[in-house]
Amino acid sequence: MKLDDLSLGVLVLVGGVAVLVSSFQFSAIPGQAYGADTMPRAIGAAGIALGLFLAGGAVAGGARMPSAERSAWSLSGRAVALLVLTLALIVGYVALSDGLGFIPVAIAILLAMMLALGVRPLVAVIIAITGAVAIQFCFGRLLLVPLPRNPFFDLPW
Amino acid sequence: MHAVMEAFGLVFQPYVLLVILGSACFGMFVGAIPGLTATMATALLVPITFFMDPVPAVASIVTATAMAIFAGDIPGTMLRMPGTPASAAYVEDAYRMTRSGRSEEALGAVLVFSAIGGLFGTLVLVTASPLLAEIALKFSSFEYFWLVVLGLSCAVFVAPGAPSKALISLLIGLFAATIGIDNPAGEPRYTGGNIELLAGVQFIPAMIGLFAVSEVFRYVVTRSDKPLIPPNSGGGIFLKQIGNLRRYPRQVLRGSVTGTAIGALPGAGADMAAWISYAISKRFSKRKEEFGTGHVEGLVEAGASNNAAVSGAWIPALVFGIPGDSITAIVIGVLYIKGINPGPMVFLNDPQLIYAIFIVFFLANILMLPLGWMAIKGARTILSIPSRVLMPLILMFCIVGSFAINNSVFGVIIMLVFGVLGFVMEENRIPIAPAILGLVLGPMLEKNFITSMIKADGSFAAFFERPIAAGLGVFTIAIWCVPLIVLLIRRRFSGSG
Repeated sequence: MKLDDLSLGVLVLVGGVAVLVSSFQFSAIPGQAYGADTMPRAIGAAGIALGLFLAGGAVAGGARMPSAERSAWSLSGRAVALLVLTLALIVGYVALSDGLGFIPVAIAILLAMMLALGVRPLVAVIIAITGAVAIQFCFGRLLLVPLPRNPFFDLPW
Repeated sequence: MHAVMEAFGLVFQPYVLLVILGSACFGMFVGAIPGLTATMATALLVPITFFMDPVPAVASIVTATAMAIFAGDIPGTMLRMPGTPASAAYVEDAYRMTRSGRSEEALGAVLVFSAIGGLFGTLVLVTASPLLAEIALKFSSFEYFWLVVLGLSCAVFVAPGAPSKALISLLIGLFAATIGIDNPAGEPRYTGGNIELLAGVQFIPAMIGLFAVSEVFRYVVTRSDKPLIPPNSGGGIFLKQIGNLRRYPRQVLRGSVTGTAIGALPGAGADMAAWISYAISKRFSKRKEEFGTGHVEGLVEAGASNNAAVSGAWIPALVFGIPGDSITAIVIGVLYIKGINPGPMVFLNDPQLIYAIFIVFFLANILMLPLGWMAIKGARTILSIPSRVLMPLILMFCIVGSFAINNSVFGVIIMLVFGVLGFVMEENRIPIAPAILGLVLGPMLEKNFITSMIKADGSFAAFFERPIAAGLGVFTIAIWCVPLIVLLIRRRFSGSG
C-alpha cells in the first residue's frame, strides 16, 4: 500500500496529535518544569508541524482527497499468502518455542518456508534439520544462549 | 623507553600472541553472525579473562572487539543486516554494491579503511590521549545536546529521498525511544502495563526487524529469481582499495579525525561518528547524488570513522577511567578485577601495561586484514546459495539473534513489529536508517536536554553561552537553515527570471 503525500501528511498529523495528547498523562520532575512529558510533547509538536507541512504541500500541489495505491505484489494471491505465512511462522515461534523447544519449532519454520518458496521436499527436509541443529550448536552450545529446550527433542550438548 | 621495551616483552610472548589470535577468530565469528554484537563478544570473553594476566586479558578484549566490529559489516553488506547502529550509516551503499556484484569491493573498502581508521585512532591514543581527554571532559550536557542534534540532523539530510520523509522516520525512532521507564523522571511511558516494555525498545531486535526482516518480507512478496549475491565482477578484496585510497585520501583522513574526536567523547561513540562522517562525506562530495545507490565514497569515510572512534573511546577510559562506550565500560571492570585502576596514575605506576595495550591495538588492526580477507571469502561461499534456501535461514538467524539480546521471546516480538514497520515504511519510500539513530540517540537527547534546562533554569540562551556549545549550536542550526535559504533564493530567482 503506497500512500500519497496528503494521506501521509494526515497520518503524521494524527499521530502527532495522539502523541501530544498522550503526553499530558505524564508528569514533570517534582519542582521542575520538565520531566517525562517533555520528550513526547516535543515529538507530538514536531509530528503536527511535519504533518501540516506534508499535507499543505500536497494540497498546494493540487491534491484534494487522500488516496493510496495498491502495490503490484498485493495483486498476487500467492505473494500475499507467502507474506501471511512468514508472519504466522514468526508468531508461531513466539507462541510455541517455550513449550516445544527450539529444535522442533526451528525445523518446522525452516521446512514450511522452504516448501512454500519452492524448494524440493527432500532438500528442504535435510536443510531444515541441519540448519536448526547448526544454529542451536552455534548459539546454544558455543555462545551459551539459553535457547528453549525440550527433553524429547534435546541434543547431546 | 625502558617501559616500552618491557611492554614489547609483555606482548610478544607465545601465550599472549596465541590469545590475540584466538580472540581475533572468536571476535570475527561472533561479529559475522547476524544479530550478535561486539559488546556481546566482549561480555562473553569476561569470564575467560578471569584466568589470565592483565595484558592477555585486555589484549583478548581489544582484539575481539576490533574484529567483531568489522565482521558486523559482513552481514550488513551481504544481507542488509548491520552489526551496529554505526554500520547502519553506510549499509545502504554497501548492500547496493553487493546487489550489483561488487560485494568484495564493498567489504574490502570497509575492511581496509576500518583498519586505517583504527590505526589512526591508535596513533592519536598513543600521542595525544591526555590532551584529548581534557577537551572531552569540558563537554557538558549543553555540548552533548547539540552533538546529538547534529547527529540526528545528519541522519535526516543524508537519507536518500525527501528530507520530510527522513524526518518521519526519525520521529518514529524518537517515539520508540520514549517507551519504557528509562527517562529523567523515571516514569513508565507507553508500556501498557507490560513489564518487558519497562526496559524500553532494544535497538538490536529493532534494527534486525527494520533492516533484515523487512528484506525477508520483500523477498517473499517479489520472489525475485536473481541470486541474492550476484557473481562478483572481480577486482579482488584489496586491489580496488589502492584506487579508492588514491581517489579519496582526504575522505580517509577526515573520517579518521572525526571518528577519533567524537569517539573520545564519553557516551558519544562510534554510532554518531559514522553518521556524521557519512554526512560530511556526502556534503563535500562531487557525486553526492550517487550516495545511497552503491557509491563507495561514503563507505570509505564512515568506515574509517567507525573504527577510529572505537580507538578514540579508549582515550577517556584509560586517562580518566571514564568509559567511552559499553565495551570500555566492561574493560574498566576487568582492569579493576586485575587490580589496575584506570586513571592518570596508571600512566605513572604501570606505564608498561599502557604501552602493551597500545601495541595490542596496532597488532589487532593489522591482524584484521588477513583474517578479514578469510572471513569475506568464507562468508561469500556460504551466502552464494540460492535465495529460496537462504531467506528462511536468515529469518531463523534473525529470530535467534533477537532472542539472544535478553534471552526472551520479547526480543522476537520487537523484531516482528519493527519488521512490519520497516516493510511498510519502505513501501512508502520512507528511509529506515534515521529511525535507528532516533532510537539509539533518543534517550541521550532527552537526558541532556532536560539536564541542561534544569541547570539553565529554563533559559534557552544557556545553550549558546559556552563556547563549544555555541559553535556546535550555530553549526547545527546552519545545517537546517542553509538548504531552506538556498531553496528560497532559487525560487525567488526562478520566479523573477
